[in-house]
Amino acid sequence: MSLIKIFKEGLWKNNAVFKQVLGMCPALAVTTSAINGIAMGLASTAVLICSNIVVSIVKDYIPSKVRIPAYIVIIASFVTVIDLVMNAYLHDIHKVLGLFIPLIVVNCMILGRAESFASKNSVVKSIFDGIGIGLGFTFALFILGSVREILGNGSILGFTVTGEWFKPAIVMILPPGAFIALGFIMFAINYIEDRRKIKNAPKEHCSVG
Amino acid sequence: MRDNNFKMVIVLTVIAAIAAFVLSFVYSSTKDKIAEAYRQEFLRALVKVFPNYNNEPDKDINIVDGQNIYIAKMDDKVVGYAIKSTSSKGYGGDIDVLIAVSTDGKITGIEILRHAETPGLGDKIEDEWFKNLFKGLTAKDNIAVKKDGGIIDQFSGATISPRAVSEAVANGLKFIDDKILGK
Amino acid sequence: MTGLILIFISAVLVNNFVLSRFLGICPFFGVSKQLETAIGMSMAVTFVMTVAGIVTWIIQYTVLNPFGLIYLQTIVFILVIAALVQLVEMVIEKTSPGLYASLGIFLPLITTNCAILGAALLNIQLQYTFIQMLVFTIGSSIGFGLALILFAGIRERVDLSDVPKYFRGLPVAFITAGILALAFMGFSGLVK
Repeated sequence: MSLIKIFKEGLWKNNAVFKQVLGMCPALAVTTSAINGIAMGLASTAVLICSNIVVSIVKDYIPSKVRIPAYIVIIASFVTVIDLVMNAYLHDIHKVLGLFIPLIVVNCMILGRAESFASKNSVVKSIFDGIGIGLGFTFALFILGSVREILGNGSILGFTVTGEWFKPAIVMILPPGAFIALGFIMFAINYIEDRRKIKNAPKEHCSVG
Repeated sequence: MRDNNFKMVIVLTVIAAIAAFVLSFVYSSTKDKIAEAYRQEFLRALVKVFPNYNNEPDKDINIVDGQNIYIAKMDDKVVGYAIKSTSSKGYGGDIDVLIAVSTDGKITGIEILRHAETPGLGDKIEDEWFKNLFKGLTAKDNIAVKKDGGIIDQFSGATISPRAVSEAVANGLKFIDDKILGK
Repeated sequence: MTGLILIFISAVLVNNFVLSRFLGICPFFGVSKQLETAIGMSMAVTFVMTVAGIVTWIIQYTVLNPFGLIYLQTIVFILVIAALVQLVEMVIEKTSPGLYASLGIFLPLITTNCAILGAALLNIQLQYTFIQMLVFTIGSSIGFGLALILFAGIRERVDLSDVPKYFRGLPVAFITAGILALAFMGFSGLVK
């Protein structure tokens, strides 16, 4: 498998949020605005890349019985590092993301990649996998955050984009809005992918549908 | 089997030891920076609540009954006092409010230091128009939401958060009025 | 006392762990396809969350705070939870095969359930006393169970109905959860 392919698969085909439904808690909780989504996505990506690197280096030395606790310690260490560094240099964003930074530890996406990819592949491949999956996660959070911010606040990345006539539906930035927005985004993805499949499929399949 | 168990323990111990070492290093190298970030945050709040001063109120502290009173001075002349006041009646837990009072007993400004109110509803207590409602009020005013017979506007869908802020402000103002200005 | 009741009601209904704090979403969608498994999962979570809350609270105030090791909080808490889950699994397996048969498969999943770590961290962040922590943790886990069981019940019915093609599966599940969350928002007026 080429590196580019690994990267691409992580970005879309194995997209953590839209396809694997992993890392749902931060995806729903912090996406009240596009910028929060990006910040959370990048923080998780940083942890994912670092943990992928370390896990792929030490994989041969860890007895399989204790591999999960070992991975968790590695991930938790990187999360704490990110937590401290963000608190020091990106203090305001750290305040907004709050509780969900330490909770990156239990983002199943990160442990999942350590277990299913990094523990079986080389360091270089694991880095590309980390970047792909991480950016795919960031992208998903950005989309979800944008949809909620536009509908709930009439703005994107803080800039007002809708006219005076638009009355923001506050519910979209409240908790129920997170579920509803994600539901409709997933519907849209199902619809678009299915359409594309029909388009690309040979003719005889089309007539059946 | 024993050999295997032994290896497991060793591996986990080594990993945990390395992790603890790395973390203590990162912690000690970011510690001052984090403390500074918290201080800057607090200073920004002080700048907002006091009209003008040229000392460092976060270091000019007077401790009264175990409460920190931050003193703002203009050319060594006291212009106001600030106090942190907490209400536990917030919707998502405690709300910390910084209240500044001028020497003639009027509120010069408030800032919400910490809260966990619902985004979109209760967190409107952070809006400027809401915080400005308290400006100029004295201990003689009835600082409470209108629902409770006071003079503070609550906003639609959320009474609890403004009520908690009002409570914190009223307590903080009373403290300064009684213990410092009243002397 | 009213304070404790307030914490309890707020944890169960108003600030529901799943529907308002977004903690424990993975099992919420993962094991809510059948009512029976949802009940099993809720019981397992209640148990582990309460024990983990007590242990992590004690560690925070007897070890981490006095020795200035607060930066090790995340790593220590997650290890405590992982170890606890293992321990609980072993004890239940030895003492009560019946219980193990019904809870066993959920236990490994609980380590990465952010509701457990989330509750442990919130206890510290909200500066709860021991009693408050206990009430909050039990309330939170009941809230988690309530949301999970309600959702499982609704999903069983959604499965039987004729859902438009592209909404089938996850999209409709998310929208259902959204409506359930809306309903729970109605409890906001409860705490006055």
